[in-house]
Amino acid sequence: MPTRRGFAGMLVAAGLATPAARAQQQQPKLGGELQFGLDGAAVVTFVLDPHNSGFAPHNRVFRSIFDSLVVLRPDQSVGPWLATSWEISPEQRSYTFRLRTDVTFHDGSKFDAAAVKANLDRIHDPHNALVALPDIGPYAGATVLAPDTVRIDLSESFTPLLRNLSKTTLGIVSPTALQRYGNAIGQNPVGTGPFRFVSLTQGIEIRLARNELYAWTPPTATHAGPAYLDSVVFRNVPEESTRVAALQSRQVHAADGIPPQNIVSLRADPAFRVLQKELLNNNYTLYLNAARAPWTDPDIRKAVQQSLDIVALVKVIYLGTAPRAWAPLSPSLFASDEKALTNVWKPDPKQAAAVLDAKGWTTGPDGIRVKDGKRLTINFPDTQGNREKRLDVMQLARRQLARNGIELSIESQTAGAYNQKLASNDFDLSGASQFAPDPDVLRRLHLPDGRPETSVSKVDDAEISAWLRQATREPDGETRAELYHRVQRKLVEQAYAFPIYVLLYTIGTTDTVQGLTVDTHGFPEFHGAWLSA
Amino acid sequence: MRRIGGALFVIAGTVTLVFLILHWLPGDPAALVAGDTATAETIANIRAQLGTDRPLWSQYVAYIAGLLHGDLGTSFATREPVLGRLWAQVPTTMVLTLFSSAVALAAGVALGVVAAVHRDKWQDRTIQFVLLFLTSLPSFFLGILLILVFSVTLRWLPAIGNGSWRQLVLPVVCLGLITSGRLMRMVRSGVLDVLEEPFVMTLRGKGLRERQVLFTHVLRNALIPVVTVLGVLVGELLSGTVVVETLFARQGIGRMLVDALNVKDIPVVQGAVLLASIFFVLINMMVDLSYGWIDRRVRS
Repeated sequence: MPTRRGFAGMLVAAGLATPAARAQQQQPKLGGELQFGLDGAAVVTFVLDPHNSGFAPHNRVFRSIFDSLVVLRPDQSVGPWLATSWEISPEQRSYTFRLRTDVTFHDGSKFDAAAVKANLDRIHDPHNALVALPDIGPYAGATVLAPDTVRIDLSESFTPLLRNLSKTTLGIVSPTALQRYGNAIGQNPVGTGPFRFVSLTQGIEIRLARNELYAWTPPTATHAGPAYLDSVVFRNVPEESTRVAALQSRQVHAADGIPPQNIVSLRADPAFRVLQKELLNNNYTLYLNAARAPWTDPDIRKAVQQSLDIVALVKVIYLGTAPRAWAPLSPSLFASDEKALTNVWKPDPKQAAAVLDAKGWTTGPDGIRVKDGKRLTINFPDTQGNREKRLDVMQLARRQLARNGIELSIESQTAGAYNQKLASNDFDLSGASQFAPDPDVLRRLHLPDGRPETSVSKVDDAEISAWLRQATREPDGETRAELYHRVQRKLVEQAYAFPIYVLLYTIGTTDTVQGLTVDTHGFPEFHGAWLSA
Repeated sequence: MRRIGGALFVIAGTVTLVFLILHWLPGDPAALVAGDTATAETIANIRAQLGTDRPLWSQYVAYIAGLLHGDLGTSFATREPVLGRLWAQVPTTMVLTLFSSAVALAAGVALGVVAAVHRDKWQDRTIQFVLLFLTSLPSFFLGILLILVFSVTLRWLPAIGNGSWRQLVLPVVCLGLITSGRLMRMVRSGVLDVLEEPFVMTLRGKGLRERQVLFTHVLRNALIPVVTVLGVLVGELLSGTVVVETLFARQGIGRMLVDALNVKDIPVVQGAVLLASIFFVLINMMVDLSYGWIDRRVRS
């Protein structure tokens, strides 16, 4: 019981669970259909293949259909789920998992060691071209030692594996279904999760129904056994004002991606509740293109940094609903350097102006600095629109920078054009966030040979690369954390990266929704949810 | 016959143009399918799967050959046949477009006649002002206003989805009202022009009641230019569905088109544009034919 209360308490923002609600939570009601308004602005098509989507909105659905070998606990440690225990070889090159023997997929087939191997082999096969490929790192193969025992071998040590196995992207898919549907599994997902897939209307809605056999909850679950709800319907409502309106008019029971101004008003309304939880991620961060002049010069990068007042930006745009980020990794993520980096630098436009003057960037006739006939312009390509108010942030940043003679040009692009610009190094500033349960996300961003050509970061720093490589091999612990601290400190001190805000994943619900939780990663869980009316 | 030939030419031209524009647009569809975390190798593999690594002419020939066999290709993003996905969107978009045209037409004609009859009086001024206001609003803004009033405050109508007639009301009103402004002005000036024609005086002189003059004689003549713009109007409404379907979270061709365009899902965009152009051409042919019915002079 204490675990349950502690866990629920962490999830439901303080003061929101009224005594009445808490009393109702004692006797959950079985049945009902929960309608969820999903912020699918960044999603174009629903591809429910957990191994093949890096989009957070997809992953918010995956968690209900697919289970993982292990679960990430609130304290960032790893707990058992489909795997009951595991052993890691001393040099961390082989992981042996003991599996539950009572688990079946939604199609009736049995979950066992062969199923785990089939999933990992599928991800590893380069012909499948799956997004989850980097999550398994230097995977060399898996061996079925017994129906309930599987050994995963790596060609070199790779510490992030265990935490990565808790990700939705490494959720376990039915091998029978994989064989039947191939890569069309995304339209016919079959997992072992608390809900099974019913139907999909492309881009519009996803219907799930309770898995009656579900008896393999992770230790973080609020109750054992099947879910309470009969069904969950995810309705994609890309427009944020419509999504909030659908919630306020009670056309949906819950909706995510609630904009700041509505968080404030929903909190004030007793008929609604707000659930908030930090998404474990590499915070939304701006990266000056360190591979393109004049941003190759750390002094110029710092001048840009000091011309920005990020505290003010975040306060004005997010109205106190999102904290300002100091470190690249979000505060709760293992090895985040948030504490040490807080207040480590201050905006100093005067100092910045002096540096730019000294470097020969003098103020031109229209107030923008010029050197050798070239304007000090920062081109910022964008493709996601005003997702999480990011463009509003940029508009304010544009004004702050302009005061110091730096021009910020925001260019809205289709995703195709945007990727092209990143791949061909034709940009000055980029911004992105990336959900991740392990600090290894830093390697995928900042290690030149570990990232795709469309990476938002072009950092190529020998020290950072060495630390990142070493951290991948280091066993989990203080040494590993210290390496990532160094990486984050250098990213900020060298003004490679300007972390902006910490995303608190926000769900607004009507007062009839009980027991809805958000897992440690920051994805919604419907297993314990029920409707009181 | 010549009309059908012309229509086919328009559609073939549209298909080719869209094909070229889409391929010239920057961006690699394979990279978009692969997502944020893919490696260069992954992207190359997907490129081979999609066939976008082949030369442009060979992709074009394959596409046209497919079209002639009724095959619109396979979506890059979902690997489903485009025809099936497109077909599933047709009913909702057609219903939305047709009802919106009906609202636009009804509101435009009725208000245009009232405004013309009460020329320069308060009725005329009010109608002109309100419709000018509505027409100059962006459709998403009017849509949000409608949602706030009728869904959130009054709770009369649902804000999102499609399926029931109640879910159709707000999108139809939004799209219809925005388009009605232009129609109203055309009807108003048309009616005013016709009212000044000598034959109207003759009719009145013959003792016909004003109502009869207006509805049987004046309106018929005033509507001819309105019918002409009807074809264009349907085109406008079709493009309006792009915004309205997204705003009201409805299923439909418009929303599918935007989504597909954003990830450069070329087969889907081509399919949607092809369908829209066929529909547009058909409507305009019908408009051409209907002249004869309204204006007997055209028939001879």
